[in-house]
Amino acid sequence: MRKANHYPGESKWLGLLYLLPAFLIYTLFTLIPIIETFRSSFFEWSDLGRTSQWVGLQNYFNLIQDSSFIKAFTNNLIFIIFYSIIPILLGLFLASLLGRYPIPGFSFFRTVLFLPQVISMVVVGVIWRWMFNPTNGPINLFLAAIGLGHLQQAWLGSFQWALPAVGSIASWVQYGFCMVLFLAGMQRIPEEYYEASGLDGASAFHQFFLITIPGLKAEIAVALITTIVAALRVFDLVYSTTKGGPGESTLVTGYLIYRSAILNNQIGYGAAIATVLTLVILSVSFLIRRILSDRNEVV
Amino acid sequence: MKNIQKIVVVLLVFMLALTACSKPATETPVVTDSDEITLVVWDQFYRPEESAVIEALNAEFEEAHPGIKIQREVKVLDDLKMTLKLALAEADGPDIAQVNQGRSDMGAMVEADLLLPLNDYLAKYSWGNVFSTSVASRNSFTADGKSFGQGNLYGVSPTAEVVGVYYNKDLFKKNRWSVPTTFEEFQELLAKIKKAGITPISFGSLDGWNAIHEFSAIQHLLVSSDYINNLTYGVNNVSFDTPENQEAAQILLDWAQAGYFTDGFPGIGYDDCNNNFKAGEGAMTITGSWFAPELMTGTDQEFGFFLLPGLSGKQTMAIGGVGVPYAIRKTTQHPDLAAEYLNWMISPRAAELWAKAGMLPAMSLPENTNVKTNNLFGETLNAWETINKINAVGHYIDWATPTFYDTLVAELQKLLGSIATPADFTAAVQRDYAQFLKEQNK
Repeated sequence: MRKANHYPGESKWLGLLYLLPAFLIYTLFTLIPIIETFRSSFFEWSDLGRTSQWVGLQNYFNLIQDSSFIKAFTNNLIFIIFYSIIPILLGLFLASLLGRYPIPGFSFFRTVLFLPQVISMVVVGVIWRWMFNPTNGPINLFLAAIGLGHLQQAWLGSFQWALPAVGSIASWVQYGFCMVLFLAGMQRIPEEYYEASGLDGASAFHQFFLITIPGLKAEIAVALITTIVAALRVFDLVYSTTKGGPGESTLVTGYLIYRSAILNNQIGYGAAIATVLTLVILSVSFLIRRILSDRNEVV
Repeated sequence: MKNIQKIVVVLLVFMLALTACSKPATETPVVTDSDEITLVVWDQFYRPEESAVIEALNAEFEEAHPGIKIQREVKVLDDLKMTLKLALAEADGPDIAQVNQGRSDMGAMVEADLLLPLNDYLAKYSWGNVFSTSVASRNSFTADGKSFGQGNLYGVSPTAEVVGVYYNKDLFKKNRWSVPTTFEEFQELLAKIKKAGITPISFGSLDGWNAIHEFSAIQHLLVSSDYINNLTYGVNNVSFDTPENQEAAQILLDWAQAGYFTDGFPGIGYDDCNNNFKAGEGAMTITGSWFAPELMTGTDQEFGFFLLPGLSGKQTMAIGGVGVPYAIRKTTQHPDLAAEYLNWMISPRAAELWAKAGMLPAMSLPENTNVKTNNLFGETLNAWETINKINAVGHYIDWATPTFYDTLVAELQKLLGSIATPADFTAAVQRDYAQFLKEQNK
């Protein structure tokens, strides 16, 4: 029970003053650019800002009819499988292997499995371009070595395989993050639950679905939000591997923004795509929070 | 009292944060001496061998012009493209900068009135004797920035480029293949090399842009120079959907399906494919003269260069052009001096230095030069001089519209991946082109 009707310590106003520097930087580098992007999306703005012209919602009308945008957004949705669903399943699996019983070298495995997450995306792109190289990349060489030469592909250049290939890189990067998140969450689940259910005859399988997963609900929500957002805003990975090719088979919204606004000088149009993408990301994260957070548990 | 102390600390932190994100105020002053003039030059010659040429020319310029200092800033082309448009609009922007050709760079800057027309200097320095009108038109726009290839001159290019065929001389000698003189012979040669179990053309289309060269090199053999000029400059209402372009696409597709390109070429990048070629894999590769210096060092193989031969051996065009030109900021305080610098960069002396570094100069070499030309560089130089002399310098067709590059890359990948037929390809590219012409004439 608090006695005073305000928090103890210094006055609230001084507290706000402490926020000022960070808030100013946030305003300068985040809020203003967002507002400016939103505003630009109503202009036909070619180079240098000298010839911008108010066009109202025209950029947005063009957007709906742009087959490249539809293609790019569809690819973003497919990327959710690779960025989010596969890493979360893999992370749950690995976490339940590593987390429940003490195994020798636990921290070693944890570190190594987490490693892809800390490498810069451009470096990841360079590494995997080499891995997928059709003539001297390890993947095709390995396939040939085990007698599966007929499965060799020009991975990143194939219309059929480029998207799954780039997607699998994303899974490789993301699963370590999910795993570490779930490992941390599992520390919180009381050991007694497992003991008691074990005595009642529950198998490890049952325990996983009835104790581990419900216990990790908050972590799963966090993992879903961050990975889905990553899937929707992906740019660097595509830029450093395929640049959207072959054709438009790995084109994503983030790359389309770059292509329109920076390469082709259609700044207003690029801003419109960016605005739509921002709104989609905001509503998706809001939805996941609503669905997965309990009334008494804040994600 | 304690509160005031805290407020002071907070304010200090705040001010610190502001200084941290503001531009450093203590940049070197532009004018150090009262009578010394500083010319600020931005260029993109960042590779060591290129940079050495510029450093040498700058030192000689300063020596010949006492009291004048060159302040050079080097950027890679992508950085330059991204920052230059804003910098040229500043009162203290660079006096001279390399401005990329084409509509989205030079055209946009001319439209925004940022560049100085060089017509007076063209006459003053007789640049007409240094480069042909075909070369000058690549650096020309009308004053409104709308029409490319005509109107005012806005830049001068020190280097040149030509796209042709590099071949592995050792492999050719060993297998007794000879350099083809007609396109028919070239086609036969491809089949012969393939039969010998060697990759005829080292090629990878993962990066996209070099597929444009591959297609357009064939295209240049089939179309007229008027057509390529009209297409590139967006005049006389030509179409991309023509039998010649379809034929070129068909030939490219045939090569791909006959296995004339590196196995798995859709998944191989440009640099990887060049490294393979340098290491002796593949008999030939089709790319530009910029690749020559790399093939002259660090390899035990010997390489040669020839222009893709014309049908029945007739004289034809080759893709080529001049490098990124130097231009002058419209609001510079020293326009005459800047023009003097431009003239310096396209002097015979500059030509000699470029040639010694293994790169094609856009200007002729001086008469009594001691540059070695009995090597791969000499062969690229020879190719450039051949097409320059007969006015057969073609174009990079991706200049044609602001989105042409993206469209061509995507559609060529579809063609090579057998997702689209040659007819689909030319039709899809034509849609982009027609859209551009429509907006252009609005």
